[in-house]
Order: sequence, then structure tokens, then C-alpha cells
Amino acid sequence: MLQPLFLAETATQDLVTINWTFIAQICNLFIQMLLIKKFLFKPVREILAKRQAKADADIREAEEAKTEAAAIKAEYEQNMLEAKEKANELLATAQKNAAAKSEEMLKDASSQAAAIKQKAEADIAQERRKAVNELKDEIGSMAMEIAGKVIEREISEKDHSRLIDEYISNVGNA
Amino acid sequence: MDINIVGPKVYWTIDLPFEVPLLGSKIEINETMIISWIVMLVITGLCIFLTHNLKVEKISKRQAVAEWLVELADNFTLGNMGPKFKQFIPFVTALFATSIFSNLIGLLGVRSPTADLNTEAAWAIVVFIMITHQKIKASGFGGYLKGYTEPIAVMTPFNILSELATPIGMACRHFGNILSGLVINSLIYAALAAASAALFGLLPGVLGEVLSGIPFLDVGIPAVLSVYFDWFSGVMQAFIFCMLTTKYISNAAEG
Repeated sequence: MLQPLFLAETATQDLVTINWTFIAQICNLFIQMLLIKKFLFKPVREILAKRQAKADADIREAEEAKTEAAAIKAEYEQNMLEAKEKANELLATAQKNAAAKSEEMLKDASSQAAAIKQKAEADIAQERRKAVNELKDEIGSMAMEIAGKVIEREISEKDHSRLIDEYISNVGNA
Repeated sequence: MDINIVGPKVYWTIDLPFEVPLLGSKIEINETMIISWIVMLVITGLCIFLTHNLKVEKISKRQAVAEWLVELADNFTLGNMGPKFKQFIPFVTALFATSIFSNLIGLLGVRSPTADLNTEAAWAIVVFIMITHQKIKASGFGGYLKGYTEPIAVMTPFNILSELATPIGMACRHFGNILSGLVINSLIYAALAAASAALFGLLPGVLGEVLSGIPFLDVGIPAVLSVYFDWFSGVMQAFIFCMLTTKYISNAAEG
């Protein structure tokens, strides 16, 4: 018949007894504790600490990158603002220039117009004078003819001319 | 048939030239010690296997198990004792691992080291010393001694008894459970072998003689019972022992 291992074959101890095994088991327990500490806790805790350190470093890096990005954004916005200001300035200058130019052009035009008007007036005056002179001459000869016919008296050329001039100057003054 | 349940087998004996009280005059290297060393080798080998080639990221399943075990040990110990008992984590873990492996190694057919009162007594005395150390640390040696006379001096003998009952209770609870499992298992094996012999002995002639010598009923049936007596009881006792250890020590520290 098969005998289970615990059945008596060789010398055995009593079922319930305290002997040197007691001391051996105390030692075993502490040796086991040190072994577990060395082979399980130490390596695992080291790797956990490393992972923690790495996670911390990653977070720090991410925060740095975030700060950097924020700085770049701020710079970009600043640049945009400056560009906008510059554009506005340019626009304002251009508008001012355009306004000045158009005003100048208007002034020029009006002065030109004034000059043209003046010239026209001068021309008119000259024409008028010319016409008056022509009229004077014509009226003189007409008057002389009429007077010669009406009075039938010969008047000396000298008197004649004086009379005409007198007449004309009266006409011109009129 | 006779069923003889005895203590662990003795392999070598070392004679001492002197007698030590309680422990005797000869060191016997017995089954308990050998199996304990095997258990220690298994636990240590498992630790080394789980923790070799650890990585920071992309961890293997092996490493996940190792980290889970460490976390479990931390949570169990600190959860029961409080955060200031960090230095007890390896001790409680060693206690639990040794206990559970010692209990379950009985399934392989060898005698559990925990089926020897020496083992539990050793653990319990260590725990008892730790409890006492914590008590003295918390209230001083005078305060510790004074604690025995409370609430009144008449109670001193009972207080001493209850103090001693702690390690004795822990040791005997664990030992009794494992030993009872062992006893019941051996009874069941013997009973089933007898039943098997009786059953197959009914067969006529040589066939009956041969078959009745083979304990067919010992195959399978004891495994079902071992689910309770070895598995459940083994895990439970390891858990209870560690639970009591953590609770007693942390209570002692409160003074």
C-alpha cells in the first residue's frame, strides 16, 4: 500500500514540541525578510522612483515648453500690433499727403483760373479800348463829313482836327 | 490499519555538549527546516525572477506583477498600521509570503513547515517582541509595567495572562488549522484507501487481490476536500496571522 510521506518510516519528532527548529525558524524569518527586501522591494522601489523622476521631468519640460510657447505668442502678438500701427500710420500719412496734394491742386487750379480771368479781362479792356479808338476815328471822319456838308464852310485842317479831338475826348469821357 | 500521525522526520542530528533549557541538547535537522529552506529558495527565486531586467517604461507583465505585489504589500501594511510603520513592510511581507508558501507547499505531498508548532511559535515570539518593543517605546519601561496593573492592581495576573495569550493564540491558531488539515487529509486518504480495498476486494480471484492493493479512490476525491483544508485554510491563516501582527503592533504603538 502506498504510504503518504508523513507516515512514520524513519525517526520522527513528536507532533507538538518545541526544539531547535524554533531558533532556526526565527533566523529563517529574518533571512527571508532581508532577501525579500533586497530582491523585491529594493529593485522595484528604485524603478518606481526612477519612473517618478522621469514623470516629474516630463511635466517640467512640458511646462517649460508651454512658457516658451506663451512667450512666442506674446512676441507674435506684439509684432502684429506694431505692424498694425505701422500700417495705420502709413495709411494716415498717405491720406494726409493725398489731402494736401488735392488742396494744392485745387489752389493751383483756382489761381490758374484767376490768372485766366485776369488775362481775359485785360484782353476785353484792350479790345474795348481798340474799339473805342476805332469808333473815335470813324465818328471823327463822319462828323467832319456831316459838318462839311451841313455848314458848307471850309474849316482849316488844324481847326478841324482840334474840334474832332475835343469831341472825341468828350465822347471818351462820357 | 493503523494511522500514525507524528512530527517531522529527522534527517541529521547534531549533538551539543550542553543542555539548553526548553530546546534540548541536540539540534535535529528535520523536515520542517529542509522544507522551510526550500520555501525560502522558492520565494527568493520568485522575487529575483520578477524583478530582473526592470524598465522605466514599456514594462513586461512580470514587472507589472512585481510592482503590483509591492503596492499590495504597501497598502496592506500601511492600511492596517498607518503611514509611520513603513519599516514593517518587508517583515509583514516576509511573514505573509513564508506563511502562505509554507501552507501551500503541503499540496505537493511534503509536510508543511507550518504543521510544526516551532514555526508558528518562532513567528509569534518575534511578533510578541515587536509588540512589547512598541509598547515600551510608546509609554516607557515604567509605563509599560504600570500598564499591567490597570485598571486595578488585582488585575495584574490576568493582564499578564492576556499578554501571553496573544502570541500563544496566534501560534496555536495557525498551527491548529494547518495540523487539522493535515490530520483530516491523512484520515481521508487512509479511509478512502480502505474503502477502495474493500470495494475492489469484492472482485473475484487474483484481479480482486491486485486491484484492492491500489487505492483508486485516493485519486481526485481528496483534491476536492483540499480546496478547503489546504487552499482556503492556508491562505486564510496566512492572512489572519499578518492581519493580527499589523493590528497588534500598531495598537501597541498607540500606548
